[in-house]
Amino acid sequence: MHNFAISVIKIRDVLLVTMPPDPDDSTISALQDKVLTSMEKFPAKGLILDISAVETLDSFFARTVAETAQMVTLMGGRTIIVGMQPAVAVTVTQMGLTLGNIETALDVDRALDLTAKPAPLLKRQR
Amino acid sequence: MEDPKDLRVPDPSATEMLQLLVDNLRDYAIILLDTDGRVLTWNTAAERIKGWKADEIIGQPISRFYTKEDVEGGKIQTELKSAAQEGRFEDEGWRVRKDGRRFWANVMITALRDKDGTLRGFGKVTRDLTERRNNEEKIKRQAQEIFEMAAVPIVQVWQGILLVPLIGTLDSQRSQQLMERLLHRVTETRSSVAILDITGVPTIDSQTAQHLIETVSAVRLLGADVILTGVRPNIAQTLVHLGIDLSNVITRASLASGLGMALGILNASIVAKDPTTNA
Amino acid sequence: MSEVPPSGEMRIGAETDIVVSRRTVRDAATQFGFSATDVTRIVTAASELARNVFKYAGEGVMRWRHLETNGRVGIELQFVDRGPGIADVEQAMEQGYSTGGGLGVGLPGAKRLVDELEIQSEVGSGTTVTLKKWRKT
Repeated sequence: MHNFAISVIKIRDVLLVTMPPDPDDSTISALQDKVLTSMEKFPAKGLILDISAVETLDSFFARTVAETAQMVTLMGGRTIIVGMQPAVAVTVTQMGLTLGNIETALDVDRALDLTAKPAPLLKRQR
Repeated sequence: MEDPKDLRVPDPSATEMLQLLVDNLRDYAIILLDTDGRVLTWNTAAERIKGWKADEIIGQPISRFYTKEDVEGGKIQTELKSAAQEGRFEDEGWRVRKDGRRFWANVMITALRDKDGTLRGFGKVTRDLTERRNNEEKIKRQAQEIFEMAAVPIVQVWQGILLVPLIGTLDSQRSQQLMERLLHRVTETRSSVAILDITGVPTIDSQTAQHLIETVSAVRLLGADVILTGVRPNIAQTLVHLGIDLSNVITRASLASGLGMALGILNASIVAKDPTTNA
Repeated sequence: MSEVPPSGEMRIGAETDIVVSRRTVRDAATQFGFSATDVTRIVTAASELARNVFKYAGEGVMRWRHLETNGRVGIELQFVDRGPGIADVEQAMEQGYSTGGGLGVGLPGAKRLVDELEIQSEVGSGTTVTLKKWRKT
């Protein structure tokens, strides 16, 4: 049986959120609440969203991510998506889904390196 | 006109041994059918391959073993008729087990006539070739992949930098395959940069341009940067006229400067990690 | 991965059934021999359609079928509900993802992932969406 839980950890001054392999809709919705609650508790420079286990990213998931990234931006932070699977990247691109105001990195390590550098001035829409 | 085949009566012990042979063959389902195509006899291999036990299937029509599409298409009647006319009928195709699963079968149906030439029934020999077919498909896919790789190589030119030298034109299917291959290579090699060099691409149509941009988007979703190099003036014009969104694409005139930029990107990330330098 | 019969049907009546339909379709598409990327395409399309059934009709049915015609092998999925129906199917198919919410979000996207996608819908009666994807030979 799958573990649906989202894990949230604070590393240095960013939030590391790890998504389970096949989250149901309520888990995906919970992402937004968890991020917002956590950012209230610990002011974080940003959010690293680890989706390396995620096998399906449909429009509902994409919209939730985009909205969450928008909220994080409004709070002065950045959102970095990490570990997208190749098949998921192909599908997201072919469907024409947008993930909004996000940056991407191959893994958590590199995402942390990214946060050490200043955010790009003009964040390109993906 | 065909000579009627004799049904010679062999001596009893040979008959017993023949029965033993039919019973014990693992890989050949050998069954007898009546003239209407109903099952008369069954053997061990038939149970193994098709899933039915003898007492469940004897008396049933052979349509039980065929796919719905085949039954509706009248395939069984065609096969039996052909066997009756020609003496035998051989075919390869999907058949269905008792549990509904499909298997790829080699089937031989032989018309059995007595010495007057009267059709008494049919003999049916079936082999399960699913595994062989899967292996053949796998080999075909691998051959196709090797062909693809030769056609458009993805070269790791430096630790963390991949180079894709595109040559000629890319049709839709090949663009798709290239995108998938490149994404896998980026993940496998943990590359931060992919250089797409289109010096060798003389013209580009709107579909190929669309695929190119999709490839760029997908690679960036993974977390790697894409540098497009060698864009010829006519292609630059086509891309702009097509209204393709190029805001996500870094471009450089030559492969050499693209490579230089890629090294710069890598260097910057190394510098950021090293606490001893003041970057 | 559990083995799935070549055809079957499942009820979509709860939000968690969207996940179940994804898993069922993933098992079926993998079993039918689709490549990993194609499996993801089919599962993602199914996810969109299963969610539409649940969100707009409350309940419905998903059917799957192994296709085999003229040497081509593929999968067919059908999503049936007795929900409110779509008034203007053409418009629903044109609606981009960016319009957010509303019926048919994800529908045009799903169409791009498969080979054939057909919608039959009548306001007040319900909707049937049928999609097909063929394996590359």
